Amino acid sequence: MLVFGAIPIKAGYGKIMHLISGRARTLESAVGVLILLIMVATAIGVYVISRDYNMARFGIASHQESQGDFTPVGKAETYNNDNLYEKIDGKAPMYQEAGFVKLDTQRFAAKSNSELSFELYTYDMNNAKNAFSVYSRQKRADVTDLSDLGASAFGYVAGNAICLSLGRNYIEMIGSAESNELVDVMKGMAKDMSAKFEPRDKDKIAASTSSLQAELGYFPEGTVAGTWKLQIDNAFGFDGLTDTYSATYKIGDKAVSIFLSKRKDADEAKTVAKNYYDFLITNGAKAVAVDSEILKSAGASVVDFYGAFEIVFPAGVFVGGVHEANDKQAAEKAAEVLIGRLKEVND
Amino acid sequence: MTEPNQENIARRQLLIRGVKAAASIAAAVGVARWLYDPKGPGAKEDETGFSGTFAKGLPDFSVPRKDGHIISIIQGADRTKTVSKAIELLGGIERFIKPGDVVIIKPNAGFATPALLGATTHPDVIGAIVKLCYAAKAKKVIITDNSINDPASCFTISGIAEAATTAGAEVVMPKDSYFGPVTLEGGSLIKDWPVYCAPFAKASKLIGIAPLKNHHRSAASMTMKNWYGLLGGRRNVFHQDINNIIAELAMLVKPTLVILDGTTTMMTNGPTGGSVSDLKKTNTMIASCDMVAADAFGSTLLNLKPADLPYLSIAEKAGVGTADYESLKPLRAEVT
Repeated sequence: MLVFGAIPIKAGYGKIMHLISGRARTLESAVGVLILLIMVATAIGVYVISRDYNMARFGIASHQESQGDFTPVGKAETYNNDNLYEKIDGKAPMYQEAGFVKLDTQRFAAKSNSELSFELYTYDMNNAKNAFSVYSRQKRADVTDLSDLGASAFGYVAGNAICLSLGRNYIEMIGSAESNELVDVMKGMAKDMSAKFEPRDKDKIAASTSSLQAELGYFPEGTVAGTWKLQIDNAFGFDGLTDTYSATYKIGDKAVSIFLSKRKDADEAKTVAKNYYDFLITNGAKAVAVDSEILKSAGASVVDFYGAFEIVFPAGVFVGGVHEANDKQAAEKAAEVLIGRLKEVND
Repeated sequence: MTEPNQENIARRQLLIRGVKAAASIAAAVGVARWLYDPKGPGAKEDETGFSGTFAKGLPDFSVPRKDGHIISIIQGADRTKTVSKAIELLGGIERFIKPGDVVIIKPNAGFATPALLGATTHPDVIGAIVKLCYAAKAKKVIITDNSINDPASCFTISGIAEAATTAGAEVVMPKDSYFGPVTLEGGSLIKDWPVYCAPFAKASKLIGIAPLKNHHRSAASMTMKNWYGLLGGRRNVFHQDINNIIAELAMLVKPTLVILDGTTTMMTNGPTGGSVSDLKKTNTMIASCDMVAADAFGSTLLNLKPADLPYLSIAEKAGVGTADYESLKPLRAEVT
């Protein structure tokens, strides 16, 4: 059948192909022109965007320009997970455990006074929570709060240094001397860095800062402001305690470290609290009697861990407790206050 | 008729080829064996005259023990005065440095940060020790450290280079050719590991000078941790087993003397610090022939107990020294 029908089909096929080939040439030309137009438009777009390139859209501009009398000296350096230890040696694991992505550094020196210089460290920590974690864990005592940077940030001045948690970045500016001039220049750079963010990114940073502040608000009144520390992982050596905030709470003249960790639900909170208690016992802690009725009804456990008291309890979706307290009575009192506060938050 | 014959030929060819292959492998193994250097590339002699490998460890630079003169603890804020007094109480510099000695000083020059931050050995101590060595008629004093991040910047910004050269010492920067594979007998970590050893080949004395610091991983960085700077390669792998590597380094290195500078102690955020807020004036200088004792005392300036630092007990069990520093009857003084 195919053999017999091949002749008429072949004749019709030729005509069709002739028509098609004519249209195809036109179509090919049209497609070719279109592709060229797209390429030209892309080139123009790249040119226009590159003329107004704003690194802040992708996070903080990694290498800053001159700041007043201070100009960059030496080359900017970038470190990743493989070579971070070359720059900060034994402190590298702390950053890496908190989600470190990369570090950019640049040294600046005053043109008029070679003794004055500072080094800018910009750690990309992947997200705001990770950045806050390394910021909070290294926060110095007796600092001057650094606010009004033009973008929401946590920050402070400590002698010769400025430290910021700004969006996904943890930033340090380390001065070569304790000098007001140096601190002012570093503050100026911090403000400039914040100002370079586009409005939508400022909004994003503000949202992440608000979220962190809301979580810090879970702590009871009387918590010493600025003592918060966020441990992303492995809090107090227990790998089950993640996203754990701790802070100092004052009972009279006694300082007690209290902690909380928000879990997925109440069941998970109970499991984590029990696992942490088991972890302490396994590592040599001795269970001791609970004196407080509030703690008893909350299902809290108190242990003596080589002379320091540890308390842990589930509270709704939270795991809360006291870490390394010297005084059992003060520890139980602080735990009572935390239980009351977490009850309010849960409600 | 042909099939068995072909099979025979194939079998014969197989045997011949097998023999040839075995001969080739044997030849390759023989050549490899002939080329194999069990000592590795090691340190090559160069224009500075440094050479040598220490496959069995570094030389022993220690001096004979003198009971009652093992550790001295001096109170005072002036590093030049306190370190001089500390050595004087141990018997004077002449006990440690003899005329003609080539002395290596190993500071902590691990970071390109100013002396103000206390992350590196203070230049005043370097200057004082170099001068003392020359006063004892040392032939040459060399300052060196394996600062992995831009050694020139580390030595310059820390002020160590200027202090050393002003006092007449030579600053030696690390080079790849100065490393050789070292194995610590009885060690579990230092096995054929590249160790900075070439500058030590022609030295007769070794003095370690360390600042007293908090350390994120090991809780404290003092005289024993200071030898970490001798490790080459990707030494960060040892951060996972920090206590054992510090103890093994203390077993590997037998210095003439160690100096622990606790004039300013980095109490927090070590080993880099970054802010003067991390520092505390503790006004103490320690000189010791026993690293374990020096570090055990140093731990108290960090508000720790010797038992809080596992590497002290590991080193003590290995016979490096004693953590019971009081048993050595430390020589104490105060200088103003």
